[in-house]
Amino acid sequence: MKLFGSAARAEPLPEAALGALLGRALWPRLALGLAALLGAAVLGAAIGPADIPADAVARIILSRLPGVGLADSLPRSWQDIVWEIRLPRVVIAGLVGATLGLSGATYQAVFRNPLADPYLIGVAAGAGLGATAVIVSPLDASVGGVSLVPLAAFGGGLIAVALAYGVARVGRTVPTVTLILAGVVISSIATSATSFLMVTNGQRVLTTLTWLLGGFNLSEWSKLWWVLPYVLPAAAIILLYGRILNVLQLDEEQAQQLGVNVERVKLLLLGAASLATAAAVSVSGIIGFVGLIVPHAVRLLWGPDYRQLLPMSMILGATFLILADLLARTVNSPSEVPVGIITAFCGAPFFLYLLRLRQRAVF
Amino acid sequence: MTSLVQRGLLLLALVLALAAAVACGEGGGEPTPGASPTVLGAVQVPYPLTIVDTVGREVIIEAQPQRIASLSPAATESLFAIGAGDQVIAVDKFSNYPQEATTRQQLDAYEPNLEAIAGVQPDLVLLFYDPGELADSLERLGITTAVLGSVEETPESVEAVFDQIRLLGQMTDHVQEAEDLVADMQARVDAIEKALADVEQGPRIFHEVDATLYTAGPESFVGGLYKILKAQNIAAGAGQPFPQLTQEVIIERDPEVIILADGAYGESPDTVKARPGWGNVSAVRGDRIFVIDPDIVSRPGPRCVEALETLAEYLYPERFE
Repeated sequence: MKLFGSAARAEPLPEAALGALLGRALWPRLALGLAALLGAAVLGAAIGPADIPADAVARIILSRLPGVGLADSLPRSWQDIVWEIRLPRVVIAGLVGATLGLSGATYQAVFRNPLADPYLIGVAAGAGLGATAVIVSPLDASVGGVSLVPLAAFGGGLIAVALAYGVARVGRTVPTVTLILAGVVISSIATSATSFLMVTNGQRVLTTLTWLLGGFNLSEWSKLWWVLPYVLPAAAIILLYGRILNVLQLDEEQAQQLGVNVERVKLLLLGAASLATAAAVSVSGIIGFVGLIVPHAVRLLWGPDYRQLLPMSMILGATFLILADLLARTVNSPSEVPVGIITAFCGAPFFLYLLRLRQRAVF
Repeated sequence: MTSLVQRGLLLLALVLALAAAVACGEGGGEPTPGASPTVLGAVQVPYPLTIVDTVGREVIIEAQPQRIASLSPAATESLFAIGAGDQVIAVDKFSNYPQEATTRQQLDAYEPNLEAIAGVQPDLVLLFYDPGELADSLERLGITTAVLGSVEETPESVEAVFDQIRLLGQMTDHVQEAEDLVADMQARVDAIEKALADVEQGPRIFHEVDATLYTAGPESFVGGLYKILKAQNIAAGAGQPFPQLTQEVIIERDPEVIILADGAYGESPDTVKARPGWGNVSAVRGDRIFVIDPDIVSRPGPRCVEALETLAEYLYPERFE
C-alpha cells in the first residue's frame, strides 16, 4: 500500500532528512484532510430532518454576507433552522471532534500508551459527576444567564484530573503509570457517585443519561464561547510540541538526556489537553471513541510522526464527528440518537478495516 | 477500562430510564387479560377476593387490607381519593399528593429494598413497576402484592385509569366511593368531549418533558390526553412514547401551543422565547406557551382529569373559561 510507504513511518532517519521528506509529504495530506472536512461540513449543513432544499441552504448561508439578499423569499423557519440550529451544530461538532482527536493523540503520546484516550485520567467521569449533580439538584438550569450544567461539567472534569495528578505526584516527578492508575481510580469514584445520584433521583434519569451519552441537539452559536477560549490556545501549544513528542516516544530518560524537560512537558501538554477536553465535554457531553480511534487511524494512514499526527488528528476528528452527528439527527428522525452510539458503531468497523489493511501492508 | 465502567453505567441507566418512563405514566405493563374487575352489586366485598393484576398475576386478598404500602404515586392518590387513605401506612417518596400521604412512612419505588418494605409490615403492597421478581419475593414472605402497572395504550387511557380505580376500590372495600369518583371523572371528560364535538383538528402542540427536548408522543399516557383534546402532536411518527426530538424538527413542525412540563428544570415561557431559532415558531409569536405540573399530567390517577381540563383551557381558551 502506497499510503503506508510514506517517509514518516520509516525508521530512524537523520532529523534533517526526515524534516525535508515530511515537508513534501505533509501538504498533500493536509489538503486532502481539509477537503474531507469541508465536504463533511457541506453535507452536515445541507442534510437534516427538516426538508430544506440544498440550494435554499446555500442561499441562506450566502445571504449572511453583507449586501446579499438571496434568502428574503424563503420561509423564516428555514432561515432559523439553517442559521440558528443546523450550522452551529456542525461547527460545534467539528470543534469538539478536533479537540478530542488532538487530545487523544496528545494523551497517547505522553503516556506512550496506545489505549490512552482523552478521558483516561478522569476528565469525563469528573465532568459527568459535575453535570449530574446539577441536573438532579433543585437548582435552575441557569443562574443570571450562565448555564450551570456546562460550568459544573467543566469544573468537575478539571478537578478530577487535578486530583489524579496530585495523587500520582512523587516529589517532582509524576510517573505515567501511577498517573494512569490514579486517573482510573478517580474516574471510578466519580462514576459510582454519578450512578448513585442517578438511582436516587429516578425522575431525572433521562436528562442525565442524555447528557452522559453526549450530543449536539442543543447547540447554539453562544456555546462557541464555552469552547474556543480553551481549545484555541491549547491546540496552539500542543501543535508546537510535535517534535518534542517524537523525542519523548524513545524513552523518558533518553529524552531527558536529549535536553527535554520531561516533567514540564508532561504537565504542560496534559494540562492543555485536559483543559481543552473539559471545555469540549462541557458543551457536548461525553462522546466516546473519537479520541481513541482517530489518532490511531491517522497513525495507520500516515505514520506516527507527531508533527503530522497532531494536526491530522484534529482534522479527521472534526470530519468524523460532523458525519457522526449528521447520522445522529437523521437515522431515527424525528428523534435524536445519542452521537456516542454512532461514533462507536460506525467508527469501530472502519478502524478494523484499517487494521486489516495495515496487516496486508506489513506482510 | 473507562469504557467498561461507562458501559456498566449505561446499562444501569437504561434500566432506570425504563423505570422513569413507566413512572411517567406510560403503559409499560403487559396487556391486562381480564384486569377489569367484575363490578360487584354489593358494596360489601366478599373476602377472600381474587383479582388479576396488570401483569397477569393472580392475587388473593384474604381480608380488607389495613396496612397498605403504596409504591406508586398514582395508586396513592387514588387510594386517598376513594377514602382508603387510613389504610395506607407507607408510600414511595414520590407520593407527594395529597398532603396527608407525605405523613406516611417513606419507601423507595425505584430501588426497592425488600427488607425495608417487609419492615413496615404491610398486608398489601402495591407496585407500579417490578424491577425484577420483587412481587414474587414479597409473596414468598407472605406479603400480598399486586403490580398495578400503569395504564394501557391510548385512547382507552382514561378508561384504564377508571378500571384501576375500580380495582383499588374492590381490593380495599371502597367500591361505592370508587364508583362515585369514576362517575365524577367520567362526567368531566364527557363535558370536555362535548365542548369539542365540532372541532375537526385542534392546534399543533409540543409537550416538553425536559430541557433536552424529550417530549410525550401520542403513544404515551400524556399523549392520550392530547388525543382527547384533538390536538395534533408534533411528535407523531417518532414511534416511541417519549422521544427526544431533534431541535430543527420542532421548528419545522411549528407548534401552535407549547406546554412545559419541565418548570422544575428552570424552563419557562421566557426561556423558550429566548432560544435561538425559536423566535418565529407560532407558539412563541402567539405567546401561547404554558407551564403544567408534570405530576398531574403524567400520573394515571384521579387528577389526570384536572390536567385534561387545564390543557383544554390552554389549547382552546375561547371555549373554556
